[in-house]
Amino acid sequence: MSKDILVIGGGIAGMQASLDLADMGLQVHMVEKLPCIGGKMAQLDKTFPTNDCAM
Amino acid sequence: MEKVTGSNGDFAVTVRKKARYVDEDLCTGCGACAEKCPTTVPDEFNMGLGKRKAIYKYYTQGIPSTFCIDAVHCRTFQKGKKCGVCEKICQAKAIDYKQEDKILELKVGAIVLAVGYDLFDAAKLPEYGYGRITNVINALEFERLLSASGPTEGHVERLSDLRDHELIHSGEKKLKKATKTLGKYEKKHKKSSADFYKEFTAGNISDGDEFAKWAKQYESVQEATKKLEALKAKAEKFDVATRLAFIQCVGSRDFRFNKYCSSYCCMHSIKEAMIAKDHEARTDAYIFNMDLRTVGKGFEEYKVRGAEKTGLNYVRGRVAEITQDENENPIIWYEETTSQTPKSLTVDLAILAVACEAPKGIEKIAEMVGVELDHNRFFKTDPLNPLDTTVPGIFVCGCAQGPMDIPESVAQASSAASRAAEAVAGKA
Repeated sequence: MSKDILVIGGGIAGMQASLDLADMGLQVHMVEKLPCIGGKMAQLDKTFPTNDCAM
Repeated sequence: MEKVTGSNGDFAVTVRKKARYVDEDLCTGCGACAEKCPTTVPDEFNMGLGKRKAIYKYYTQGIPSTFCIDAVHCRTFQKGKKCGVCEKICQAKAIDYKQEDKILELKVGAIVLAVGYDLFDAAKLPEYGYGRITNVINALEFERLLSASGPTEGHVERLSDLRDHELIHSGEKKLKKATKTLGKYEKKHKKSSADFYKEFTAGNISDGDEFAKWAKQYESVQEATKKLEALKAKAEKFDVATRLAFIQCVGSRDFRFNKYCSSYCCMHSIKEAMIAKDHEARTDAYIFNMDLRTVGKGFEEYKVRGAEKTGLNYVRGRVAEITQDENENPIIWYEETTSQTPKSLTVDLAILAVACEAPKGIEKIAEMVGVELDHNRFFKTDPLNPLDTTVPGIFVCGCAQGPMDIPESVAQASSAASRAAEAVAGKA
């Protein structure tokens, strides 16, 4: 039995889930196929509805 | 990820950690290697609109801040050539061509699937000319054009203009090389190429392979110069794209492809049009839609602001076809359904709001972890348990569950984290 958690995908959903789990004190393994995390959201310039920067 | 076995609370997962060929502990992310790398390839992060090197960081602010070698394009890996430039330049001695993929065996209690989505390939809709008409692009490509860290540093330029600039750049390089060759002939025979060519065409110099080659070279240089000058004259008139057409529901709400609504595209088209107008006040933006679905906190107000404050034009009607004029400007053919009249509009750029589709390879992941997919190829969930897959202990969040925007993805991610934590709570 293990308390570790596997998160598949390092986009905004994967990052948020991983951070929340880590904040709960759990060991998280994140798997991402690309060299950097960030996913599609990192490619966006601004986000609606506030026109805030996506980075 | 390669293999998953076990069940709720006790999964054994095999993960292949791909070789970066750069030591993560040593690399400082200075980028000297990428500066000197001789191989240039299209940049995936910028949707192929920019260039990157064979040793690269996926994007500037990318985490981890470690460079990696793209073995598919790197000279050292591909052609067996002795390159090794990055190894020589790296002060941290981080380059390791012999690094191998690592197999990791993980024991986990729960799994969260956050595999995201892929964009619909607009080339499947031949009537919109994506891939055939240069100035028809998709929304993510436009997003990169708008970005200050993108290939145009935030200037919205027509793709045909970018292509012509690239042609001028490569043409100048080639011409310089060809002129150098001419110089060699001139030095050898102590004669200017123009004088020689006059004599040659007059028939005063007839024999000798070398003279024929010289004449041919001179001709090609003359031709290339002419072409380059014409292109440069054309480029002087280039301006940023100010007439923009946003076409909604490309590949979604379409019975040929995806019947569902991708939910976020109305909002991102309004956003992109607003930002474009912020960048260039002369911008005229048209959003062609069946209806604008702006459901979410503050979304409706955003749409109204777009029309009233920013002056965006919302046109009700589904676009039938996109053609192009002699200047490569897209022409949008549509029926304005409010007045029931067929119309056309010439613009600088047509931006397709492409559908959100389940990612390629989702079937493989589903098979590996043993969960079911729904009829749209997203992970199957129950309306009352939207984060639970068909297997206990495996949860899903974000666009892997279905199309959704960022706030919703974030909310789901936090929920899925709680569900996963619950699943392992009380276990050893």
